[in-house]
Amino acid sequence: MTRAAASARPALRPELCKGCNRCVDTCAQGCISPGGEVDPLTGLVPIDLSLDACTGCGLCVEACPEPWGLRFDDGAPPPAAAAAPRDLPGEQLPLPGGGALVLKGAHASAIGALLAGCRHFFGYPITPSTEGAELMARVLPGLGGHFVQAVSEVAAVNMIYGCGGAGLPAMTFTSSPGFSLMLEGISYLIGAEVPGVFVDVMRAGPGLGNIGPEQSDIKLLCRGLGHGNTRAIVLAPATPQEMLDFTLLAFRLAFAYRSPVMIAADGYLGQMTGRVHLPGALVRPGLPAWAVHGDAAHRPNLISSIHLAEVDLEAHNERLQAKYARMIDAEQRADLYRCEDAELLLVAANTPARMAKGAIRALRDEGIAAGLFRPQTLWPFPVRALRPLLERTAALLVVEASDGQLEDELRLALSHAGAGAGIPIHHVRRMGGVLPSQREIVAGARAALAGRARA
Amino acid sequence: MTTFYRRFERHDHAAGLKGETTHYCPGCGHGLIHKMIADAVEALGVQDRTIAISPVGCGVFLHYYLDVGNSQASHGRAPAVAIGHKLANPDAVVVSYQGDGDLASIGLAEILQAAQLALPITVIFVNNAIYGMTGGQLAPTTIMGQKTATSPRGRDRGMGQPLRMSELIAQIDGQAFVERVALFDARQRKRAARAVEKALRLQVEGRAFSFVEVLAECPTHLGLTPVEAERWVKEQMVPVFPLGVKKDLGADAAPPFEWPTPSFDPGRVLAALGGPAAAPERFCDGFPRTAFGDDVGLKLAGAGGDGAQTAALLLTKAAIQEGFDATHIPSYGPESRGGTSYADVRIAAEEVLSPAAPHPHVLVAFNAPSLARFGPEVAPGATVIYDSTVVPAPASLGPAAAVIGVPCTAIARELGQPMVKNVVAVGAVLGATGLFPAATLQRALRQALHARPALLPVNEAALARGIEAAGRRPAGGTPTPDR
Ligand code: SF4
Repeated sequence: MTRAAASARPALRPELCKGCNRCVDTCAQGCISPGGEVDPLTGLVPIDLSLDACTGCGLCVEACPEPWGLRFDDGAPPPAAAAAPRDLPGEQLPLPGGGALVLKGAHASAIGALLAGCRHFFGYPITPSTEGAELMARVLPGLGGHFVQAVSEVAAVNMIYGCGGAGLPAMTFTSSPGFSLMLEGISYLIGAEVPGVFVDVMRAGPGLGNIGPEQSDIKLLCRGLGHGNTRAIVLAPATPQEMLDFTLLAFRLAFAYRSPVMIAADGYLGQMTGRVHLPGALVRPGLPAWAVHGDAAHRPNLISSIHLAEVDLEAHNERLQAKYARMIDAEQRADLYRCEDAELLLVAANTPARMAKGAIRALRDEGIAAGLFRPQTLWPFPVRALRPLLERTAALLVVEASDGQLEDELRLALSHAGAGAGIPIHHVRRMGGVLPSQREIVAGARAALAGRARA
Repeated sequence: MTTFYRRFERHDHAAGLKGETTHYCPGCGHGLIHKMIADAVEALGVQDRTIAISPVGCGVFLHYYLDVGNSQASHGRAPAVAIGHKLANPDAVVVSYQGDGDLASIGLAEILQAAQLALPITVIFVNNAIYGMTGGQLAPTTIMGQKTATSPRGRDRGMGQPLRMSELIAQIDGQAFVERVALFDARQRKRAARAVEKALRLQVEGRAFSFVEVLAECPTHLGLTPVEAERWVKEQMVPVFPLGVKKDLGADAAPPFEWPTPSFDPGRVLAALGGPAAAPERFCDGFPRTAFGDDVGLKLAGAGGDGAQTAALLLTKAAIQEGFDATHIPSYGPESRGGTSYADVRIAAEEVLSPAAPHPHVLVAFNAPSLARFGPEVAPGATVIYDSTVVPAPASLGPAAAVIGVPCTAIARELGQPMVKNVVAVGAVLGATGLFPAATLQRALRQALHARPALLPVNEAALARGIEAAGRRPAGGTPTPDR
């Protein structure tokens, strides 16, 4: 307390006085004067106090910028240490079964978020991701939730930081240019270990580009989540059903790892309508022990990514590295289609993976043993599932709607794993809002195998 | 003073004096403002509920000191972080603490939006007319003529005039309390303390957005002693940044904000999503035995208002309700510039592999450009249906097995509802290919029109007329325009 009983008098430990002298002139009784001696502990010159005439008015205390500088000793005992907060677990509430729903990918993802217990959406409209946001805007108010259209993607990601920091599931829908704007904030989320789910409905770039589908952000998602040593799980759905399932999963992973989780969707997938089954339960979220929730239990907590001392920041980085290692170990996911006997392995994610599936059927009809290796996590790349397939593989064919961003992930993963040496890697790529067509993939596959025959 | 940590453990592990003194320079205004916040929190009895958002700037280490929930924001974004916290837990008392670079430069958009939303959060804006932490550079609030590291000859016209944030915030509509205060003498400090307490109280009562700008001393970068700096603020800053209440439109009397309670009730959630889908009755007897195998591709193409997408969605829904897999992808690609909007539909017994239909088994063309563009691309043995009211009979479509003109537009006009020409076309698809029984699509129509039942009869009639019109066509390779 600044003020105290009239009889009380200010007290000062000289080593806590910085000698700013802001208090000196406030004392009408002249009790305070600039000091004359350097304090040996601080090297500063504290004030001189002589309190004979002090009336206890407290103006000097109000003038002192130091919390434990000039003050009335209120005699209050130091507060008892608060009990350490505990995790309040979430709950699964059963959903009645029913028939299949017919949903757009973006809507399926939004519904996944709602079923994951997300009641907070923060975003900025950007095509082709707006359908997801619009569903949230329609539904959230009726469920006691909050939809905030932020002033920009920069604000949106920081609202997620606040809401996630408070321990609640929060999300956004965005598309490539908006995702670029969010990267600084995502680095803060990773650094401060704040959960949040980002659905990036990737569109064609660079720059304003167009609103056609592209897998344009794979390098950002896997290698470029803002500044610093950042990594986050990147889920890559290929169907409306996976848009729902992966969004649900993303929230679970975000809280399990205290980390943002990315969902890489492409423009087609957001717009694609398909068959979607709801899960058997929805989630009522809990409240993690680490949250800064604004209540007594969580008062001791701090959400922050600043570690001023190099040793502290390095230790923090080491902790994050250990977390990334756990993700690499536990979260690799892949879908294998007709890989059992495949000598040509197509590698593709998102909608291009479906074009690739169509091509595989056509290739099989021609007698070519082709299979599809579909990473469902772009990071960590599911190299563990790929490795055993390589023994039979004569060639890899990466099918993607980008300039080779998926292929780079594949090559890095193979190289780190010391696998795949000698297996040629071919590609079918489209850019600019165009997906590789089945016909192009079939032609690419034939060429890949013909190349091998010549070699 | 229990709202301060007794020892500042986060300050370099509280080694030595760092456990009890701030990191601020001697005489810096920040410490005074921290104390005012601490006092207000204590007076209002909200220490457990308070969350302080530290900015980037000299106030970055606010969390060393205030024994409340703490969150550290990126540069300028503290109001956005505060909104996230407040909406997560409206019971929390959220204080965004920001300097002038943070709030009035890099974070302009965030603070203006926070003021516009006028949620009951509190912003404490420390204006000391300079960038402290980065070493004394020009701030948006640096006054004219003031020398800084990046205005070595003094702020001049080319650097713009100082920004008066309180006035800017005050002119935004909404329930808000905005006051500018100072710290340069005992009287100002008392006023400042009162303003901070009022700002927090308005939030605790849930009434208004509260914004307190504090003119503060940065003796270090003014190159002045703390006492000289107080005088500088009084003489140089106050004329530019007049003190006082800038807005208080009865904030005390504003009705408290009403906060919803989040619901996780499965019934309510399902209702919000349009109700649980009952497992539907099936009218098909196994996957349709067409000439197209177990993975049928359809393309519906026309101009913007032709209803190709709606028709495609109808077919997709109908297929899924029959227990098949189906997809629909709309395309408004570069073709739309030529007036073409097309939809790809795939229907598969088990799983749609590729959702695209570049070489469809069934093409529906609502206009001539669509037929010209997609007709030559159809799969061998395909069925092509075109609106013969508006599309002249094509010469030849190569591999297509059946090219059927159906006067979709004319039939729809006859029915008195030109909009239903797409449903006529859907009927024609059924009639020509036997893809689904009529009942499958009748159900899809009923569901699509459940909110507009008056339109159901004309749609059902359109479906029936389409089936009939195409069903009369003989299968064969010759184009057979209806008229
Ligand atoms: S640089 Fe200025 S604002 Fe920063 S601590 Fe020092 S006096 Fe305070």
